[in-house]
Order: sequence, then C-alpha cells, then structure tokens
Amino acid sequence: MLTTMSKEITEKRIQTEKPFVVYKKVSKSFGDLKVLREIDFSVYPGEKVAIIGPSGSGKTTLIRLLMTLEEPTSGVIEIDGVPLWHKEVKGKLIKADEKHLHKMRGQIGMVFQQFNLFPHMTVLRNCTEAQVKVLGVNRKDAEDRAKEMLEKVGLGTKLDNYPSQLSGGQQQRVAIARALVMRPKVMLFDEPTSALDPELVGEVLDVIREIAAEGDMAMILVTHEMEFAKDVADRIVFTDGGKIIEEGSPKEVFENPKSERLQSFLRRMRK
Amino acid sequence: MTIWSWDYTFEVFPVIFKAMWITLSATIVAFALAMVLGIILAVLRRSSFKPLVWTIIGLSEFIRATPPLVQLFFVFYDLPFFGISLSPFVAGVIGLGVHYSTYCAEIYRSGIESVPRGQWEAATALNFSRTQRWTKVILPQAIPPIIPMLGNYLISMFKDTPLLSAITVVEMLQTAKIAGSASFRYLEPFTIVGFLFLVLSYPSALLIKQLEVHLNRRKKENKAKKSKVKDVAPSC
Repeated sequence: MLTTMSKEITEKRIQTEKPFVVYKKVSKSFGDLKVLREIDFSVYPGEKVAIIGPSGSGKTTLIRLLMTLEEPTSGVIEIDGVPLWHKEVKGKLIKADEKHLHKMRGQIGMVFQQFNLFPHMTVLRNCTEAQVKVLGVNRKDAEDRAKEMLEKVGLGTKLDNYPSQLSGGQQQRVAIARALVMRPKVMLFDEPTSALDPELVGEVLDVIREIAAEGDMAMILVTHEMEFAKDVADRIVFTDGGKIIEEGSPKEVFENPKSERLQSFLRRMRK
Repeated sequence: MTIWSWDYTFEVFPVIFKAMWITLSATIVAFALAMVLGIILAVLRRSSFKPLVWTIIGLSEFIRATPPLVQLFFVFYDLPFFGISLSPFVAGVIGLGVHYSTYCAEIYRSGIESVPRGQWEAATALNFSRTQRWTKVILPQAIPPIIPMLGNYLISMFKDTPLLSAITVVEMLQTAKIAGSASFRYLEPFTIVGFLFLVLSYPSALLIKQLEVHLNRRKKENKAKKSKVKDVAPSC
C-alpha cells in the first residue's frame, strides 16, 4: 500500500511528539440541539485522521470549529499549545478577537463539500489571491506556486478557465490546490466527494491519497468513503450523537469494532 | 398672442439646455454619494454590534418615511442654525444623495444576501481579513447582478432633481420658471423641460432593461451548468 511507510513514520511520531491540535471537553449547541458533547480529541503533527459516523453525528461541526467557522459553546481547542478561540490574559482565558483568530487560522486549511470556489475569478486567480493578499507573496511567485499545485491535481491546463466551466470533480481539485498553496499545517476535508456524481469521486480521492502520501501535513477527513478512509488514515474516529464512541487504527476499527453502535454503523455502510 | 410660439421656443431652448448641465451634474454627484453611502450602510447593517445595526435601521426608516423635499428644506434652511451653511447645490446633492442612499442600501443588501454562505466560509478559511472578505469575495459577486436596479434608481433620482429648484438651485425647472416669469410665457419653457427629461430618461431606461435581460441570460446559463453538480444539503 502506498501509505504504509508514511503510516509507520507517523506512528513513531505519535509516540514521541506532542499533539498539534487538542480539543478539551469541547461542546457545541445550536439552540437546544446539542451537536457536540464534551469532545476530547487530538491530532499529531502529520497524522491523518478520518472521522466517520452517521449524518448528524457532529463530525462536520467538529472540523468547522477548528476552521473558526463555528464557535464552540464550551471547552478549549488548542493549536500547537495555543488556545484557538481564547486568549490568555493574566492566567485567565477570555474570548479571542478577530486578530487572534486571524493569526491562528493561517495554520489550518479546508476543502468544502460544495467546493466554494470564487466564481468571479479564474482557476489561477482562485489559487493566487489569498497568497498575495494574505501571505504577502508577490504575484509572480504566487502564480508559480499555484501552477505547481494545479499541475499536481492534474489541472495545469485549466488556469484561465472559470469555475463554472469545470466539472464538479475538477472544481473540487482546484479547491484542494487553492487550500494547498497556503501551506497549512492541518488540512480539513469536509465530505469532499459527497456533492459529486459517482463517476467523479475517484479522481478527487486519488488526489487526496497522493497528498496524504507526501506526509508532512496533518489531515482530518470527514468522509463516508470507508475504503478510502481505511487506505489513507492513520487513525479512524467514529462519532455518534455528538460523542466519540470509538477510535483506533483502521485495522482495529474496521476489523474488530468493539461498540455495538460502530458495529451496526459498519453493517449499514457495507450494504 | 398664440398659444405656442416657435420663435420663443427657439429663443428659450438654449438657456434651458445650458441649465441641463446643472441638473446632470447634480444627479451624478448625488448618485455617486448615494452609491458610496449605500454600500457603507449595507455593510454596517451586517455588523455584529447590535446598537449600530438598530441605529442604521432606525435612521434609514426615518429617511425613507419622510418626503425628500422636507429633507432638502431641512439641509438648506435649518442646518445654518447649527452652524452649517451650504450652497444650494451642495445642500441639494447631500439631501438627495442621503435620501437615495437608503434605497441603494436595500438593493446592495439583496445583492449581498444572494451570495452563498459558502463564499464567506471559503474566504474565512483562506484567512482573508474582514475587509478583504468584503472587497475581494463578497462585493464583486454581489454588485454586478444589482446594477440594473441601481440604474432604475439613478433615473428616478434624475427625475427628482426639479425638487432642487425649491432650494434655489438654478437647474432646468428653475431656469424655465425664471424665463417664464420674465416673458409671461410658461408653456414653452415647461414643455422643453419635460421634453429634455424624456429624451434623457427614456433611452436610459431602455439601456437598463437591455442590461437586465443580458444579466438574466448569463445567470440562467450559469445555473444550467451548476445544476449538473449534484446538490446535497450540508450535514453536520
């Protein structure tokens, strides 16, 4: 398997290094609806984690909190030891301002279910605008880096096209390149193939597999593609009802599920 | 005395035509003000600081619920009591501009609200600053579709400029009135004013309609392409 070696490397890392992302008793409610209940969860540098679970189990919300798209109701999330949603002032945690969030967000990248490319920009511009405006890279270097990444996702020939001229699979691959150019330390994938026609799923999964095999960047993948999760992930996390029910290596989780809920979920997915 | 004198018409036409430039420049400056102020109002209305939002809503409702003529009188005749003396032209431009900015703000708002939430999220995920999210991502998508609606308000404001005659701006109507009171002939000057308004606003209206058709066609084409992408409700 392509990823076996990188998996071993990551396993060694996990034994020696500190986790990069840590969730401490994180809860999230929308009104009366409790979506996450006191989640404890961490991700190590370079680790690939797949989150699986039934719809409405809170898995998308879990990563949206890390991208600062939703604010946790309670609990603390830390990136590299620094609280994400809070600032420490005189030993007390207070709510962080936009400046702090801006500083922290640079370490995270995200690929969305609905791609969310900017329709008024060409493919190339989609991949250069944030480099220039956010990272302060000059336009020439930004274009070189964008072309390199677009080449990697197999779209080196579509630079001047607009998103509406591309298929869903192509759009999602541009979205992956757009996130990659920012050099995030953790990349989040929110059901990246759920909005695609079945025949386009493969091309997107192949690109993600390739990126995963390269190693350095940690990844959190929310997915319904079980085979893919098994291939790519170092660790599988199963969520249900806003809680992490079970986690472990793909082998443990898929071949020897312990909880009743995971067993029945896997049975349903295999059908 | 004939009812309509062509001699007098030709005599008075150049005078009124010259005043048209005052009407046009007042329209352009006032509308530029309305567009800029409108965008500011529309953006501030989405602030998370509620008292600011309430203030803006209250102020906009107040401005829209009172006649522009009263507002013009207030700006021109009442502000001097507060130490602000403005020339008729400047007072007129501010009065009309502020009045129309509240309507422009509503149009901007509809444009902003039609930008999908995913665009905000992608802009946040790429770590654009708050201002950049507006200027690079949201407004460039929100504004093109609403240009025809803004155009309609431009014409409607153009037709409101005779109100400025009430605060002594010597625009077309005021010029016609002065000419009339000098010659005791009002039919020709007022007819010319009406004619000039018609000649300017009707073609503009047609142009805007054309633009609207064009934009709708483009929107339909984009939608047809997008519908190929399966629509899946976002899950949590």
